Amino acid sequence: MKDRLFRDILPLVSKPARYAGGELNMIKKDWEQSQMKMVFAFPDVYEIGMSHIGSKILYGLVNDKSRHLMERTFAPWPDMEELMREKEIPLYSLESFTPLNSFDVVGFSLQYELSITNVLNMLDLGGIPVWAKERQENDPLVIAGGPVVFNPEPFAEFFDAFLIGEGEELILEFLDCLQQNQELDRKSRLMKAASIEGVYIPSLYTVEYKQDKTIQIMRPECPEAPAKVSKRLVRDLDKSYFPEKPIVPYMEIVHDRAVLEVMRGCQRACRFCHAGTVYRPVREKSVEVLKRQAESQLHNTGYDEVSLASLSTLDYSGVNQLVKDLVKTYGERGVGVSLPSLRVDAFSIDLANEVQKVRKTTLTLAPEAGTQRLRDVINKNISEEDLFKAVEAAFGSGWNSVKLYFMMGLPTETEADLDGILELLTRVKSIGGRLSRRSVEVRASLACFVPKAHTPFQWRAQASIAELDEKRSYLKSRKIKNVKLSFHDSQTSMLEGVLARGDRKLAEVIYQAWQKGCKFDGWSEYFKFKQWMESFSDCQIDPAFYVERQRAYAELFPWDFIDTGINKSYLCEQNELASTGLPTPDCRQAGCVGCGICPGFEVNLDLKEEGQNALASRI
Amino acid sequence: MRLRAEYSVGPDLKFLANLDMMHLMERTLRRARIPYLLSEGFNPHIRMSMGTILPVGLWGEKEYFDLELQSMSASEFMAAMNSALPPGMHINICREIPAGTPSLMKVVNAADYAFMIKKNDLEIGDITNRILDQGEILVQSRGKNKKQQKDLRPGIFGIVVEPQGEVEVISVQVSVNEPLNIRFDEILDVFVINGISKELMLDFWRRGNYIKKGDNFYSPMEVK
Repeated sequence: MKDRLFRDILPLVSKPARYAGGELNMIKKDWEQSQMKMVFAFPDVYEIGMSHIGSKILYGLVNDKSRHLMERTFAPWPDMEELMREKEIPLYSLESFTPLNSFDVVGFSLQYELSITNVLNMLDLGGIPVWAKERQENDPLVIAGGPVVFNPEPFAEFFDAFLIGEGEELILEFLDCLQQNQELDRKSRLMKAASIEGVYIPSLYTVEYKQDKTIQIMRPECPEAPAKVSKRLVRDLDKSYFPEKPIVPYMEIVHDRAVLEVMRGCQRACRFCHAGTVYRPVREKSVEVLKRQAESQLHNTGYDEVSLASLSTLDYSGVNQLVKDLVKTYGERGVGVSLPSLRVDAFSIDLANEVQKVRKTTLTLAPEAGTQRLRDVINKNISEEDLFKAVEAAFGSGWNSVKLYFMMGLPTETEADLDGILELLTRVKSIGGRLSRRSVEVRASLACFVPKAHTPFQWRAQASIAELDEKRSYLKSRKIKNVKLSFHDSQTSMLEGVLARGDRKLAEVIYQAWQKGCKFDGWSEYFKFKQWMESFSDCQIDPAFYVERQRAYAELFPWDFIDTGINKSYLCEQNELASTGLPTPDCRQAGCVGCGICPGFEVNLDLKEEGQNALASRI
Repeated sequence: MRLRAEYSVGPDLKFLANLDMMHLMERTLRRARIPYLLSEGFNPHIRMSMGTILPVGLWGEKEYFDLELQSMSASEFMAAMNSALPPGMHINICREIPAGTPSLMKVVNAADYAFMIKKNDLEIGDITNRILDQGEILVQSRGKNKKQQKDLRPGIFGIVVEPQGEVEVISVQVSVNEPLNIRFDEILDVFVINGISKELMLDFWRRGNYIKKGDNFYSPMEVK
C-alpha cells in the first residue's frame, strides 16, 4: 500500500506530506506484539490535528506507557478523498499504513461540533459502517472524546462508546478492559466498559420524549450502565503524563512549536464559556516540572519556539518566573516563548514585552463585549480602564498591531452594546495614533455567540440568523477608518448551536447531510448550508427548536446525565445573576463561589506557585 | 567559520517542500546543539543557506547547504548532525570553506536527474539518441513564462541509459539556474513527447548538483 501511495497517488495531491507519515519521533510499535490496536482519528486535516495538544498526550501515553498501540489518521482533503475512492484506497493509519477497519478501536477527537460529517466520511473511507447498530463483531469499536462529548447525544448513534472528561485518566483503563474481555462478544465487552467511571455507552440507554419534543426520561437499560456518567479528571497535573518526544511534522502545521500545558481549567467563570465550566477546577503544574518539560521538548524537537498553553495562561501563578527563566535559558539560542492569549491589563503587557525580547507579533485581546454592562452580564471581569491601560502599554512599548475579539448576539445585547464595540475600537485606534510612531493596525473579530451545554447560558435562546445578520449590517454600516472588522458566519454558528444543545433525534439529519455531500463544514469553502437545511426538512426537524427556544429551568436536557461536577443550581443562579447584570468573582481570590466541583469530585484548586510573585501579580 | 555540507534525502522524504526542508534542517541544527550563528536584527535567524532546492516529489543523493557557526570540527559536526537527522537523511561529507567563497546559489549551474523505467519493449537508447540529435527541443515552459515555448537543447549536456537488472535508469545532465534553468518536469515532458510514457516511470530523483566550467563538472565540495 505504501509503495502504491508514494508512486501513484501522493504525487497527484496537494500537500502530500499530510498523508506520508514517517515524521521525526513517530512511534511505530510492533503490530503482533501489541495488545489493543487503536487508531487516533482526528476529523480534520493533518495540520490542524497535529497541532492539538491532547492528541500528543494520548499518543505518547498509550505507546510509551502500555502494551497497547496507537497510530494516527486524519481527514483527507477532498482532492485526496476523490483519488482514494477512485483507486479504492481505504483510509489508513500513518504509522503502518493499515486500513481503519483492521484496528480494534477507532477513537475520534471531537473538538468542534461541525466535524461530525468528517467523522462519518472517515468511517466510510475506512470501511466501517457509520451507524453503530450496523457494526458487526469484527468491526472496530468506534469511540470519541474531547470537549464536544460533554453533550454526546446528537452523535450517539454513530459511536459505540464515549470517553467523558480528561482522556489520559481513562484511556488505558478502557483499553485494558477491552483486552481483558477479548473473548466476550461486542455487546458484552461494551457492558463491561460501561462500569468504568467516565465511559458512556449510548446503546445501553433509552430516551423517551414528551409531546413538546423535550425529554421525558433517559434511563439505562442494564445495571452496568450508570444513571449519571461522571467526567474523569487529572488530580495532580505534575504527575500526569506529558510527552517528552512529540512528533515533529515535516510540513508546516497550525501550531508549529513546542508546547507546555501550564495548567488546566479556568476559574474566571465567564458565563458563556464551555471549557471554563467543564474543565474545572484549576490545576497547575509547578515551574520546575514545566522547565524540565521545556528542556526535553525543545531538545527532542528542535523547535524555535515554546508556547505556554492553557485556557488563561496569564492566570498561572508561576507565569512570571517561568517566562523569565525560559527567556534567560533559550533566548540567546534564538528560541522564543509565546503566550497564546493575553489578559486585558497592563501586567500582561509587561510580561508580553519580556516574551517579545526575541520576537514581536500581533497583540490579541478579548474584551468579548462592547459595554461594561454587557461584560458584567457575561461575567467578563475586565474594566474599560484596564483595557485602555493595556493598549497604552502595548503601543507605548513598540507594538503596532492589535486584534480584539468580540461576540455578537450575547444575552440582553442591544444596539448600545454594538455602539460600545465601535466606540471601544475608536478609542484603541486613537491611543495607537497618539503613542505609536508608525501607523497602527487595529482589527476586530466578531463571533456569533452560541449557547453551550453545561454553561449558565444553556437555557438561553441563541440569536437567529436574521438577528445576527442585522447586527452585522449595523456594525458594517458604521465603518471606522483603518479598523478592519471580520465576522463569523451566522449560518455556521446556527448549525453549531443546534448540535451543541441537540439530542439523539439529530442523528438522521447528520446522516442525511453527509449523504448530500457535507464535509469539512468548519471550512467556509466547503460549508453547504442548503444541504443541511434540506436534511432538516427531510427529517421534519425544525432547527429553531434547538437554537431559538428559551428553555425552562424544569426542562430535562439531553446532556443532564453527564456530571461535570458543576451543580445545576449554580448554573441556574449564574444565569439569574446575568439577568441582573451582577458579576461573580474569581474563586482564587474571593473564595469559593459554590460551583460544586471541589467537594463533589474530592479535588482541590491546585495552585503550585503561591509565592510573593504570584500574589503581587494579582493585585 | 563557514561550513559546506553535502547531504542526501531519502525517498520517504520526497514530498517535502523547500520551506519544509529548511525547517527540518534548522530543527536538526538545534537538536544537534550545533553552535550556529544568528543574524542580527528584529527577527534573528540561523545563518544557513540551502544552496540547492529539491523539487517536491524528488529525492536526492547529493544536495548542499552552507552554514556559519562558531568553531566546530567538520567531523564533530557530521557526527552530531547524523545522530539528529530524521531517518532517510544523512550528511555525506562536509568541510570548512573560506569566508569569501561564492554562495551555492551563485555557482551551482548543472544537475543530474535520474528516471527509473520499468521493463518495456522500447529501445530507450535509440530514443535518447534521437532526442540528443534534435537541433531544438521545444516544450511548454513549466517555470516562469508558462505560456512560452522553451528550447531545452542548449541546456541538455548528456543522457546516459544504464540497464539495472529488471529496470533501466536514464540519467540526464542539464543546466540549472542562470542562464537556462531546465526543470525536472520539463525533461519528463520531453520523454513523453518522444514516446516514453509516464506509466513506465517507477521513480525519479536527483543524483547530484554541479559547478560546470567549460566541459568539466565539479562538485560544490571542491572549493579552493
